[in-house]
Amino acid sequence: MSAILAVEGLVKTYPGTRKTPPVEAVRGVSFDVAQGEFFGLLGPNGAGKSTTLGCITTLVRPTAGRVVVDGIDVIRRPSEVKRRIAVVPQMRNLDRDLTVREVLTFHAAYFGLPKAERESRADRLLAEMQLTEKAGVKPLTLSGGLQQRLLIARALMHDPKVLLLDEPTIGLDPQARRLLWETLRRLHEGGLTLIMTTHYMEEADRLCQRLAIIDHGKILQLDTPAALKKALPGGRILDLWVRSPEPIAPRLETLPGVLRVEKVTSSGQEDGFERLRLFVDPKDGLLDRVLQAVQSAAGDLDHVSLTQPSLEDVYIHLTGKELRE
Amino acid sequence: MGGENLTMTAFLALLRRDLKVASRNALPLLMATLTQPILVVLVFGNILPRLHLVADEFRTVMVPGLMSITMLMAGVQGVLMPLTIDLSGSREVDERLLAPISVLGVAIEKVVAGAIHAAVAGLIALPAMMFLMHQTTGVEVHPRWAALLPLVVLCGLLSAAFGLTIGSRVQPRFSGLLFAVILGPMMLFGCAYYPWTGLAVIGPLQYIFLLNPLVFMSESMRLAVTPDVAHMPAPLLLAGAVGFAALFTLLGARSFEKRTIL
Repeated sequence: MSAILAVEGLVKTYPGTRKTPPVEAVRGVSFDVAQGEFFGLLGPNGAGKSTTLGCITTLVRPTAGRVVVDGIDVIRRPSEVKRRIAVVPQMRNLDRDLTVREVLTFHAAYFGLPKAERESRADRLLAEMQLTEKAGVKPLTLSGGLQQRLLIARALMHDPKVLLLDEPTIGLDPQARRLLWETLRRLHEGGLTLIMTTHYMEEADRLCQRLAIIDHGKILQLDTPAALKKALPGGRILDLWVRSPEPIAPRLETLPGVLRVEKVTSSGQEDGFERLRLFVDPKDGLLDRVLQAVQSAAGDLDHVSLTQPSLEDVYIHLTGKELRE
Repeated sequence: MGGENLTMTAFLALLRRDLKVASRNALPLLMATLTQPILVVLVFGNILPRLHLVADEFRTVMVPGLMSITMLMAGVQGVLMPLTIDLSGSREVDERLLAPISVLGVAIEKVVAGAIHAAVAGLIALPAMMFLMHQTTGVEVHPRWAALLPLVVLCGLLSAAFGLTIGSRVQPRFSGLLFAVILGPMMLFGCAYYPWTGLAVIGPLQYIFLLNPLVFMSESMRLAVTPDVAHMPAPLLLAGAVGFAALFTLLGARSFEKRTIL
């Protein structure tokens, strides 16, 4: 498959002001997205996801690096790039002075579609997104889920090659979120290239074929969700919530079957309990040995769980912190 | 690849959208722009002359000035109000910026839409004022249409470009201040209520008034609708109006780009 998007050495530093220092939002990001791929940028708030997306969509001017969409340089020929991409922004920026239907037809007019085509496409997309009944109302009267669907319909009006979505399910209720996932999956099956930022693990895991885990403006890991999970040492995860007078992690690390111990900073800490994450290769008696080690350190154990690794575990392994704050 | 054509198509479609939205809000827009000149004409052009408190000539002098004020307000508001929504938290402007057109193109479209708004307001204000004063005597308003139409367009462009410049530089929460501190003084010192040539009585200070773009608008209207009143030489007022329109378009486009592309 050929790359429809190539990002090379992307850097974006927002200049500081008298009161604030400059912010290095993106610090050398490179990746390719293949034609027809569903690609995800996963990371916490402030990781640099939206800035990376902004550089691809021409709305953010990169400090250094290159972005090429369908063979066209974004900085040199922005208008031609804009014809090939569509954006579903994090902020729902629907034109509040137009009706739902006009939002679609005017968007298509900006892209030079002839009138008959504008009308027939609007009809089709309104029906596909189950918005036909709302065609005559103003967009701001719609619920969040419907507004989101209208944003996607608007993005599809000019038949883009790449659809970029910035945190598309933020603020949606679970039902609307699932419906949106279905829509995105259908578009992907129809051959569209999708690039999505998200900080929801489940969403990234379910939808994306490849994921870049990004934090502090850098890509920490880039692979398929399955490969990312497989790359964790051991293959199982043992979470312990412990409290002890002396550091217990070094003792645990020496136990056979324990490959690695990480401290997880989490907001749920109370009463001095800390969360330790053990990457383990479950062998006979592993749990006994762990419990003995805790007891011999005069520690209290609050909670234990042994799980298959999830994408969230990969994230915590890579960044040492929980994704949601 | 037809890139140029597409840019023009996008430009015209954006303009069509703005005019459609403006025409839907025609009544409130008209009220916002016409209330002031109509009330001023009623008081200064109708009541005070009957009480013999102002000279008859003042009414003639005032008409082009009020036209220019009307156009300035309409042009500034015609850009400022949509711009405030565009740059608000939801950033509606991003949809325009993602259309296949340059940032400069988006900025110029805003100026053209505001200029149309201003020109329409000016052309409605003139007959409205003439109607309100038609029973009083001594008003010498004789529009020269061939000069009026292009000058109204020029003044509209100047007003809208000025609106873009201040609108993209000033935070929306200060827009009240903007009217009090910038537009208020501009109107009082914009030669709306007195001809610029008459300012010879204050000596060289007369030339300081030329820093105010509204002066060139008022004098343009004076040339076009009250040819019998002394006005600034045509080359000077044209140079001033064109110069300010170009300057503000440039400054406005630059600050618009700074505000929108991070």
